Amino acid sequence: MDQLGNLLEGFSVALTPMNLVFLVIGAVLGTAVGVLPGLGSAMAVALLLPVTFSLDPTGAFIMFASIYFGGLFGDSTSGILLNTPGNSSAIATSFEGHRMAKDGRAAKALGTAAIGAFMGGMIATTLVVFFSPYLVRLATLFGPAEYFALAAFAFVAISAVVAESVVRGLIALGIGLALAMVGIDGQSGAARFTLGMPEFFDGISIIVVTVGLLAMGEVLHVASRIHREGSATRVTTQGSPYLNWREFKQALPAFLRGTSFGLPFGAIPVGGSEVPTFLAYGTEKKLAKRRGDTMFGGRGAIQGVAGPEAAGNATAGTAMGALLALGLPTSATAAMMLAAFQQYGMQPGPLLFERSADLVWPLLASLFVGLVILLIINLPFASVWAKLLLVPKHYLYAGVAVFSVFGVYAIASSMKDLWLLVAIGVLGFVMRRFAIPLAPVLIAAILGPLAETELRRALAVSEGDVGILVASPISVTLYAIMAIAILISIVQHLRHRRAAAL
Amino acid sequence: MTDNTGTDNTGNASTGNESRFHPAAGTVTDAAASASPTGSPQSWLAGRSELVVAALTLGIAVFLTIGIVTMDIPDGAGAPGPTFFPTIVAALLYVLAVLLAVQVVRAPRPIDGDSNSSRVGVSSDLLNDVGDIDTTSEIRVIRSTVHPKTTAKIGLTDWKTTGIVLACVIVFVLILQPVGWLLSAAALFWALARALGSRRPVFDIGVSLIFSSCMQLAFSAGLGLTLPSGILTGVFSWIS
Repeated sequence: MDQLGNLLEGFSVALTPMNLVFLVIGAVLGTAVGVLPGLGSAMAVALLLPVTFSLDPTGAFIMFASIYFGGLFGDSTSGILLNTPGNSSAIATSFEGHRMAKDGRAAKALGTAAIGAFMGGMIATTLVVFFSPYLVRLATLFGPAEYFALAAFAFVAISAVVAESVVRGLIALGIGLALAMVGIDGQSGAARFTLGMPEFFDGISIIVVTVGLLAMGEVLHVASRIHREGSATRVTTQGSPYLNWREFKQALPAFLRGTSFGLPFGAIPVGGSEVPTFLAYGTEKKLAKRRGDTMFGGRGAIQGVAGPEAAGNATAGTAMGALLALGLPTSATAAMMLAAFQQYGMQPGPLLFERSADLVWPLLASLFVGLVILLIINLPFASVWAKLLLVPKHYLYAGVAVFSVFGVYAIASSMKDLWLLVAIGVLGFVMRRFAIPLAPVLIAAILGPLAETELRRALAVSEGDVGILVASPISVTLYAIMAIAILISIVQHLRHRRAAAL
Repeated sequence: MTDNTGTDNTGNASTGNESRFHPAAGTVTDAAASASPTGSPQSWLAGRSELVVAALTLGIAVFLTIGIVTMDIPDGAGAPGPTFFPTIVAALLYVLAVLLAVQVVRAPRPIDGDSNSSRVGVSSDLLNDVGDIDTTSEIRVIRSTVHPKTTAKIGLTDWKTTGIVLACVIVFVLILQPVGWLLSAAALFWALARALGSRRPVFDIGVSLIFSSCMQLAFSAGLGLTLPSGILTGVFSWIS
């Protein structure tokens, strides 16, 4: 039970006044970017990375952690009220949430979402705290071949299994890998793809890639649509956000079911929380059908909001565990946190708990405190946050663009980064236009260097024998799961194609 | 997103795809022609503007190949050297560029005019299965509303606005150092708000100046970041 002692020590750091201030700032920022369409917690962390450079790492990470969860608290708001989910993680919540809102129960839907997010995050974080030593022990069994298998698993899962089109997913993956290869090769010292320009010796910053793809690409995409679309009709919030006992009893099993879907998916890199939230929604739908519940799909059922929302935040919780213990980012936001660790010269993974225990435990403790603060600022004030949706779109996206150029310039005051931002923004726009997924680019840009280093290390040890890649039970298991996932995905695509052809 | 079921992988145009094909073929070619100004017959390019992506992929692959061939490899580089991984990626990209081109040529697909669709980079087949989703009613629920005047053009990219926005950002990058953060950021904000549909230019001048000076104050004076001061150097003490 070392963990309890460590955690209590962590609380003593997280609850100092300065760190509480960081937590509250992070919670407010996170909720705000969650509520506003066009921004997400990955963007918020990316833009704050250069800004927080002058802070001490503990404070910065505490702030990032509450932004991370805050984004998930806020993102269901626009889905419920406007029926336009701000993030893909909120789509499943929007189905029943918006029905509830149209039925005059908008506040209740927002309240259920906040409680669901709180419970999912709380349970997941608790599990992470108590299982982290085992995760760390598992991670120490990982050698170069196993790490390469893990990265390959992430690449295949996100680009081939989860993506709509295998070819387009893999193209996105290839672009991400290509971006990651620019710069001096760490192992041999060769300058690669720099066109001889010293500016590129350090490689392309992952912040530029993220901000370019997600923010600048989004601004251009909105520009290509804004004069062609009408405005969404907003449902006003009314009533009480608090659940009464009967409603809570209805929602509680859904909260728990959603959480149990979310937990495993945080540790698998399948693009974040889309799959578990949809799984939770599907389960609630089936259960409602079996109960003969007419509210579900009609006036809107509370379970349909509770399940997906809990699943989303549970995913975020275990994703944090996977990031800290294995060094594996499973979502865009986790990838940004990884970039943050690297900026402070730390490498998440088994050694982090040994070398930076004074950072890890306050960070984990601050997740708990952050969730409580988020519940306090979200449950009673959900309708106040909804006012953010009144910001006109033209100001919102003009602001997003200004923040992106600012965040990118702040990294190193470099004009090269700004030009790269423009180029990657155009790339992001083209990719959006042709529905090419963006997540594989980010995952490849983050994990690409790891995959390459570990692959070359493994092959150098075995003197070129490829057999080393499948020489251990761990890597064989990973490749086996990968093969099963590919198989299921092929069956799924074929079945749907046949259904579509009929 | 969810409407593309059945168009991928093999490239066989399913009936579902054809029934959803954009009805106004003439308007599609506008976008297609401007997206790939190759001078090919317009009707053929309808729904095939994605060939731009295949060309882009091919371009990256060629760039990687040139980089690999011309790379200076230092002495003593280990057995799988610095060109090992790039070679794999370049080969992958060549294959993918060809596969995508074949898919697009064999099964042209319409541009989905929905700004929400691109948010989910996740297979709709997968989501339908795990979420027990009825694609016809439920996913459509969350589609954006269509402006009544522009229904016919909903699937098309508004190149004018996109171009203006891109030009604004490029001009910003060009003037940032000579003019300074405060004024160039304000100009960027003002121009983008205007391009995206703001109808109060005079009011916007105030909004954008307040916005950019707040950022300068908070980050430059507060957190000690250096932002270029440009022509306003020395005018105010808080612009460093």
